[in-house]
Amino acid sequence: MKKQLIIIPSILFLLILLTFFYLLIIERNPSEIPSNLIEKNVPKFEAESLINSKKFISHDEFGNEIILVNFFATWCKPCIEEHIYIQRFADEEKIRVIGINYKDNPKKTIKWLNKLGNPYSNVLLDKNGRIAIDWGVYGIPETYVVNSKGIIKYKHIGPITEKIYKKINSLTKEIK
Amino acid sequence: MILKKSFIIIISFCLMQFLSNNSYTVEPDEVLKNQKQELRARNISKNVRCMVCQNQSIDDSNAPLAKDLRILIRSKIKDGKNDEEIYKFLTDRYGDFILLKPPLKLSTLALWFFPFIFLIIGIFIVFYHNKKSKNF
Repeated sequence: MKKQLIIIPSILFLLILLTFFYLLIIERNPSEIPSNLIEKNVPKFEAESLINSKKFISHDEFGNEIILVNFFATWCKPCIEEHIYIQRFADEEKIRVIGINYKDNPKKTIKWLNKLGNPYSNVLLDKNGRIAIDWGVYGIPETYVVNSKGIIKYKHIGPITEKIYKKINSLTKEIK
Repeated sequence: MILKKSFIIIISFCLMQFLSNNSYTVEPDEVLKNQKQELRARNISKNVRCMVCQNQSIDDSNAPLAKDLRILIRSKIKDGKNDEEIYKFLTDRYGDFILLKPPLKLSTLALWFFPFIFLIIGIFIVFYHNKKSKNF
């Protein structure tokens, strides 16, 4: 029994150590929180558009095709980094991308899009961050993949990289 | 004398720390006129995690998202929503992670009861060990 008393806690301790080690070596961002909206319908919202005066009503737009929703701002540096990939989604993959301009100055956004190119089919204004809260956004850039039934299939937090670009591409082909 | 002085400095430093920890970040323009409603908003905010800083409540956090959520909670209270409805609104969007105190659910059972189970195992081991030693 005395032997067991030493062996059992040692094994338990070793298991805990191995778990910590495993969590340390796998590729993950511990501050990243899984979205609660995956496999759920897109939130209902209405928004002003940056370019045209027509009001954007979410339930009229989602549910017909695969759409990427990208939260961005001109003051957000990583948004510049990922812009090239957003452009590639629109140009090369012909995927519709809706941009939600988070707490920004519309004039600056127009200038920014003129300079970097506009990959968005619609640019919606989220002046007070209320739309972002409905989508469960907590730090931009964030990108959502919505299927043709209007259901959110994937969320990426942070800038899109080559790896994430490929991942989203294969996902959109999968859910087509 | 020096000891007395350093003691006073340490005590005042601790007091400052204590007072600063108790100060809150709610800005004057956010505060509701109705005191009862404001108290409800404060109580809810203390239990809602700031998703940006993650180890603070939105009541303590200076992050812009925390401010947005504080304002949103107050507007929902003004609209006559009850606490459960407000918590549901938040967890529907950000999951249970937004609550600083996780709810008791099937998926969180281990979180709630493992400490007690380990405590019982520990007591059992100590008790058994003592009994054995006494026998020798």
